[in-house]
Amino acid sequence: MTSLDTNEVITARKAYYAGLAGEADKGRSVWFPIAVLALLLALPALQFTGNYNYLIHLVLFTASYVVMASGWNILGGFAGYISLGHNVFFAIGGYFAGMIFARYGISTIILAPLAGLVAAVFGYVIGLITLRVRGPSFIISSLALVMIFKILFDNWDFVGGSNGLSLPANDLPVQWAKLPYYYAFVVMAAFTVWASYRIRHSKFGLGLRAISKDEIKSESAGINTRFYKVLAFAISAFFVGMAGAVWGEYLTYIRPNIFLIILVSVNMVLMCILGGKGTVAGPVIGAILLVVFNEFFVATLGASEINIFATGMIMMLCLMFFPLGIVGTLARLKKLPRILNWD
Amino acid sequence: MLEVKGLSKHFGGITAVSNCSFTVERGSITGLIGPNGAGKTTAFNCISRTMTPSSGEVWLDGARIDTLRPHQITAQGLSRTFQISRNLADMTVLENVICQSKIRGWRDLFRPAMSKEEIDKACGILDFLGITRIAHEDGSNLSYGQKKLMDLAALLMSDPKIILLDEPAGGVSPTLLEEIIGHIRKLNEKGLTVLIVEHNMDLIMRLSHRIVVMAQGQVIAEGEPAEIQEDPAVLEAYLGGAVEEAA
Repeated sequence: MTSLDTNEVITARKAYYAGLAGEADKGRSVWFPIAVLALLLALPALQFTGNYNYLIHLVLFTASYVVMASGWNILGGFAGYISLGHNVFFAIGGYFAGMIFARYGISTIILAPLAGLVAAVFGYVIGLITLRVRGPSFIISSLALVMIFKILFDNWDFVGGSNGLSLPANDLPVQWAKLPYYYAFVVMAAFTVWASYRIRHSKFGLGLRAISKDEIKSESAGINTRFYKVLAFAISAFFVGMAGAVWGEYLTYIRPNIFLIILVSVNMVLMCILGGKGTVAGPVIGAILLVVFNEFFVATLGASEINIFATGMIMMLCLMFFPLGIVGTLARLKKLPRILNWD
Repeated sequence: MLEVKGLSKHFGGITAVSNCSFTVERGSITGLIGPNGAGKTTAFNCISRTMTPSSGEVWLDGARIDTLRPHQITAQGLSRTFQISRNLADMTVLENVICQSKIRGWRDLFRPAMSKEEIDKACGILDFLGITRIAHEDGSNLSYGQKKLMDLAALLMSDPKIILLDEPAGGVSPTLLEEIIGHIRKLNEKGLTVLIVEHNMDLIMRLSHRIVVMAQGQVIAEGEPAEIQEDPAVLEAYLGGAVEEAA
């Protein structure tokens, strides 16, 4: 009799948890990101009706930042290690693929995954060294990394020193010239978002979240925190490196001043913070908003200091009302529109 | 089962634990007591490797564990709780508990965060502790006592052979205290070895089979509860100041 009762309790409980899990699944929207992706893949058809190169460029630019911000989010958002040095991997990816492209003519779009792997190896080794400290010390160590690599690339004649290296442009007609890079970035962005969704829902992701909350507790809970952190660093470097690879060929130029300026890594951080770090949709929303703000203010106020000031003011207002980022705060208040719930 | 040999820990010039040795028998409940600042928590931290001991050895089941990293010690079957409950905010109690799951390795990247088996196991533990109803609460929204129970639940998730409880009854209500005592007793009956640091003498005297007394970083007495209560060295350590003042 008792065993029967226990069984009933267990069945009831299982049904209850299945219900809860179902609710989480129902709250999530899968169709929306897929619809956006389909729309973006179809967008270049506009070129048949006129010249939409500016729009294509903007989407491409946003997609490149989606890749980078989502990549950064794996270390900065999930594991809670704020790095201001991720443009180093942008540069490593860009130079690796750019040099091979310049010498052997292999397209960087094909080389991108390989460039990402090279960046990941660098990330793994750098992570082994810098992830021993956390908090402000880690941020400073990541800034030092940028300086080291800036000096290195500025003085390395083989890769063109501070003058950089120009890469051959492709010979497509002007309205199609951007499309290979456009598709490369859109596909990479989709892959990155998918990967960060998978990571967030893996055991690894759960461990990273634990690390971001309390590292000592996580370690004593049996999580190999050092390995987890270094692996997170390598994975996030992979995505940033991949973006860097194609970016060089798109600009037809690789130069330290393109990759190793602090603006690139600050943008990644700001996008994640604006959208909500530690969420899947956050970096995407942040990247879209920041690019849109920038373009809007450049268009209305001109490329002066005022546009930077205006973007800064908007950022500040956003963070006053959305302290956890837009997606993060709305999710906390349970007011997140379903189309933005990708977690 | 757990053997501590000549454990010492210095913080600069201060010696928190000096040459501390004791053993914990398999299947027993051992209490570790002492006045404030006796080095109990430091000894705990050194055993679980949350701190690196300055010298000394720790053996678990015939294997030396003081050279391992904390997560490896947990994998060896020694789990601990913290004096001030460390819980993972923004994660549900269920996630908090499953974080301590034993299933680990490089394949973590491709495993789901919480498998069905793990959820079932965690729910079983929560049931045992009577906190199933808070399974989906945020870990930071719990009361102090619930956090202590959650810590205990997380501990059990890793299938430990020996558990180190750092003040399991610190700051909890008398009713919950009885509950926690009951849980510890039941776990011990199932064969789990327990080492407790606690200030609540009532709990220690009722639960422990053996008691180790520390004062000023050293073990000053070891024995059964009744012996300890009579031990002059222990009385001296606890009341020493008062006796001297009276004299």
